[in-house]
Amino acid sequence: MSEAFLQGIEKYAAETKATITQLRKGHTMVEVDQSKLKTFISRLVTDASIRQLSTITGLDLGQNIGIIYHFSHDRDTLHVKALIPKTQPTAESIVDIIPGAILYEMEIHDMLGITFSGNPWMDKKLLLPDTWPADLPPPLLKTSKPAEIRRRLGLEVEKK
Amino acid sequence: MSDPTRPVRKEETAGLMKYSAENLVPFGPIHPALKEPEYFKLILEGERIVEVIPRIGYVHRGLEKAAEMRPWVQNMYMFERTCGICSFVHSLTYGQAVEGLTIYETPRRAKFIRTIIAEMERIHSHLLWVGLMGHWAGFETLFMWVWRDREIVLDLVEAISGNRVHKSMNAFCGVRRDMPEGMEDRIVERMKFLVERANYYKEIVDTEETMLERTEGIGKISADMAEKLCAVGPMARYVGLRNDIRLTDPYAAYDEVPFDIVTRKEGDVHALLKLRLDELIVAANIVSYAVQHLPEGPIRVKIPPVIPAGENSSHSEAPRGEIFYYVKSSGGRTPDRVKSRQPTMANLPTALALLKGQTIADVPVVLTAIDPCFGCMDRMSFMDLESNRQWTWSGEQLRQYGIRHYFPERAKG
Repeated sequence: MSEAFLQGIEKYAAETKATITQLRKGHTMVEVDQSKLKTFISRLVTDASIRQLSTITGLDLGQNIGIIYHFSHDRDTLHVKALIPKTQPTAESIVDIIPGAILYEMEIHDMLGITFSGNPWMDKKLLLPDTWPADLPPPLLKTSKPAEIRRRLGLEVEKK
Repeated sequence: MSDPTRPVRKEETAGLMKYSAENLVPFGPIHPALKEPEYFKLILEGERIVEVIPRIGYVHRGLEKAAEMRPWVQNMYMFERTCGICSFVHSLTYGQAVEGLTIYETPRRAKFIRTIIAEMERIHSHLLWVGLMGHWAGFETLFMWVWRDREIVLDLVEAISGNRVHKSMNAFCGVRRDMPEGMEDRIVERMKFLVERANYYKEIVDTEETMLERTEGIGKISADMAEKLCAVGPMARYVGLRNDIRLTDPYAAYDEVPFDIVTRKEGDVHALLKLRLDELIVAANIVSYAVQHLPEGPIRVKIPPVIPAGENSSHSEAPRGEIFYYVKSSGGRTPDRVKSRQPTMANLPTALALLKGQTIADVPVVLTAIDPCFGCMDRMSFMDLESNRQWTWSGEQLRQYGIRHYFPERAKG
């Protein structure tokens, strides 16, 4: 990662009390508090002109759900991570800063049940079937078992 | 007919979300066996599209969940089956992400073989797309010619890997099969032939009236908008963005092979046609170079089945754009989390933006333009705001409508 680029990130990170870890060559992980996430990303887009959002990953971390925004910038990949408590699974949408994030947020909403406030299509499903029961937990949570999903959706194969 | 170039005013689309939610368009069962099922709800005003709402996921098989229950190496061949066109690049990217967590290095010869297969895959994918473009625009002859030429590269892939589509060539830190001996001359000669054909097709799409009429000035977007919507691959390069992972973040042997990427300025479907044909020529040259400069040495390093704890990501340039994989390991025999993002997903917001303001007749051409793994437009439903009428068309009906719209004298019955 180039020096000037890293210094810029460090400045924004200090403003938002984020921690920077160098995962390996070309991969930098920034962990930022959930409330400062949008501020940090808007600084990245407007001031550091890092525009290319590769995708958003959601992952089950036990007590919390982690969301990681992956930005590509030449040879560097910047991972911006925030923890969302499972008890209150809401996050701020970044669609107004990066319009291309709209489907990625819908995907995480389907797969891990996080609601992104400000995303206009949060009421629609993108990947899950329309018949998905409202009380069935989102499929990518570690507690969600494929056998249970198949049974509830009526997809069980009869054993002879 | 209303003017398709007229910008859509805000008040015209006001209240649409409510409208569409109240009027659920009924559509029949989906047949994944026929074509890839994707569903776009188009909201029209006369002939013009004012809003598009996508619905994907009909063939979502839960691969990311399935990956958490399978050994690391088994996942490589499972992710290869994500796509039936660009299969190799999926296993390559997943492999690179996992290799980053280990201390092992991929041998140089394996990197070259990976480059050769990846570029052959690009040639076959681009030829497939050019043929489909001819089909949807109503130029069947081009479709027949191009798909005949596609067989050449598929035969080469089969001769190297044993398979035409799912090559299963990759392994962690290497490839499973070496290049067969004595293939060099044959590959170089075939690549030369493909370059000749690509130049000929470039001439055709520049002069043939059918292609010009259906593609010039269709599907326009500004470079700024494409960047904001995070477009990848050809959909970013056709407006002039230099977005190509092979060049910006070289993987495999791309830092040792001389090549330059192609960009265009016009930003319409016609530019995309010429861009993909130019890229085909670049890919053929890369294959020829890599085959002639293939280094000697081992093709594989064996690594243990347990991957050290950590997280990593990798991306590479598939024929359709950037493919992205994120892997997290807790030091066990199975991954903690694997995230895969395909280029069609990244280009979908751009496609939706392209469709707004176009007429129904242009829908097949514009949707095929992003190369959505298959120009799948079965079961498109329409809703006319003016007459409050709803109806559903199959892909073939839509194709015939497009041809009738542009060339009334050619339409069947």
